[in-house]
Amino acid sequence: MTLEDRAIRLLRGASVDRTPLFPFILGFCARNAGHPVATIYRDAERSFELQSWTHEQYGFDWGPLYGYASYGTWEFGGAIKMPEGREQAPSHVRFPVQSEGDVISLSLPEAETAGCLPVAMEFSRLQAAAGKPISVVCAGNFTMAGNIAPVGTLCRWMLKKPDLAHRLMRLATDHIIDVVGQWCDTFGAEQVIPQFWEPLTANTIISPKQFEGFVLPYLVESAEKIIAMGVRHLLYHICGDQNGNLPLWAMVPTGDPGLCSFGVEVDLTDAFRHLGAGNVIIGNIDPQVFLTATPGRIYDLCRAAIEKGRAAPRGFMLSSGCEIPPDSPPYHVYAMQKAIRDSGKNG
Amino acid sequence: MASPQEREETLKGLTEAVTQFDEEKVAELSKRALELGIEPGDAILNGLTPGMERAGHLYEQQEYFVPELLLCSDALNAGLNILKPLLRTEASDTRVRVVIGTVEGDIHEIGKNLVRTMYEAAGWEVFDLGTDVNMARFVEEQKRTDAHVVALSALMTTSMTAMPEIITALKAASPRVTIMAGGAPLTEETAKRYGADGYADNCGAVVRQTLKALRTAREA
Repeated sequence: MTLEDRAIRLLRGASVDRTPLFPFILGFCARNAGHPVATIYRDAERSFELQSWTHEQYGFDWGPLYGYASYGTWEFGGAIKMPEGREQAPSHVRFPVQSEGDVISLSLPEAETAGCLPVAMEFSRLQAAAGKPISVVCAGNFTMAGNIAPVGTLCRWMLKKPDLAHRLMRLATDHIIDVVGQWCDTFGAEQVIPQFWEPLTANTIISPKQFEGFVLPYLVESAEKIIAMGVRHLLYHICGDQNGNLPLWAMVPTGDPGLCSFGVEVDLTDAFRHLGAGNVIIGNIDPQVFLTATPGRIYDLCRAAIEKGRAAPRGFMLSSGCEIPPDSPPYHVYAMQKAIRDSGKNG
Repeated sequence: MASPQEREETLKGLTEAVTQFDEEKVAELSKRALELGIEPGDAILNGLTPGMERAGHLYEQQEYFVPELLLCSDALNAGLNILKPLLRTEASDTRVRVVIGTVEGDIHEIGKNLVRTMYEAAGWEVFDLGTDVNMARFVEEQKRTDAHVVALSALMTTSMTAMPEIITALKAASPRVTIMAGGAPLTEETAKRYGADGYADNCGAVVRQTLKALRTAREA
């Protein structure tokens, strides 16, 4: 079974020969072939190539991705910088919104030309040409709002000036719909699998009640509109401790099936219980262990996840719970494929 | 001079106003405290600080989250801005001195800022280096301030790996300094392995854990 067969069969609910391995691995792919991490974010063609090589080497099943967690800052008129030194992803330099007045005057960016979108579109053309899933990656609604204004400001406004917080959520949501619409117009809605990364909704930051009031309505709106365009599968990266939000995430339409990836903070069993009926579940090896643990420990964690994954109602893909650190020792990354080879076979 | 009742009411009002993140009330009561002749240090330590401590407990109990803590911190600072300039600093200032920063390669600061607020609420003197701070800068600032504590923050798995080197350099330069390490990717085990003297898994616990680390260092 080829990598493409495995991913497609999983989404269609058909049996697969082994647990698929989902790639949350970006900067590592650059270092793996002797390139700086920034290449992954700067150069679509080289990024696609570098990721493809590493996926081939380590047996990843999905396909190269283009995206980063600070999406929205550059696109809405702020500034980011490319990673250098120890940095693993683009980071904020200047937020688009510095004051209340900035919120009022902020307008929607152009989905064709804003920020990283030209590079992202070039990348998706490469995905399409290679027959890989076409995965436009945006920040989730709340995380994007927290990239437009600093998240501390957004948090303060949620309580003290909710109109401003809602305006940011409105802009983020409309932009998400614009971008996905642009991708659907270009590639056909059925081919597009948008990804939304939502680390800022973790319960270490906001409460389930704040998630319900400020985030959920917008998540539902954008998901419904995207599905109405004809998109069949949405992927949400539900990062960090989101245990209090799980019953609320279950209210977000994600397609048939959707895909939900989780970090180590959410037990896979809880993920299956709340979201497994409608989603392929992805996760959830702690990225830290790739740096700090032994290969044997990583292998054991992967095997345990694979075994748990057998109970996933709509399927399971093994992955790290967030991006594998670029400096991870290569053999530690290999431990994932070794665990699948030894324990992940089906039938 | 405030009567005991006036003092108690004012300090209690400050505590409640911080916990309820009422900036205006905190500012109003801070000025009232001065008008009544309450010592600024008394108003801070027995009015503002308990309010922030209560906020920290509510965060640990998951009744308050980051939005509430940030607003409590703003309320606290509204009071500190009025009272701190009038603090009488003794020649032998025995306050705990803390250097704090997010380590090199990491630009996240919410956690670091909340920890700073908790330290300030405890009446400690904090030297905030900001984010993306390299080893040399930590060492230099600790020596310049003769800080008792250096608190290192990291939000990312990749940036936390800068900590062992920083801790080694700090200990080499000042063997008696107490190092606290914290941030989302860290565990107590990781912090200990890195050579830190203490760790707190949330900002509500940071003063308590730092005091514990300082006591352990004194007894060693």
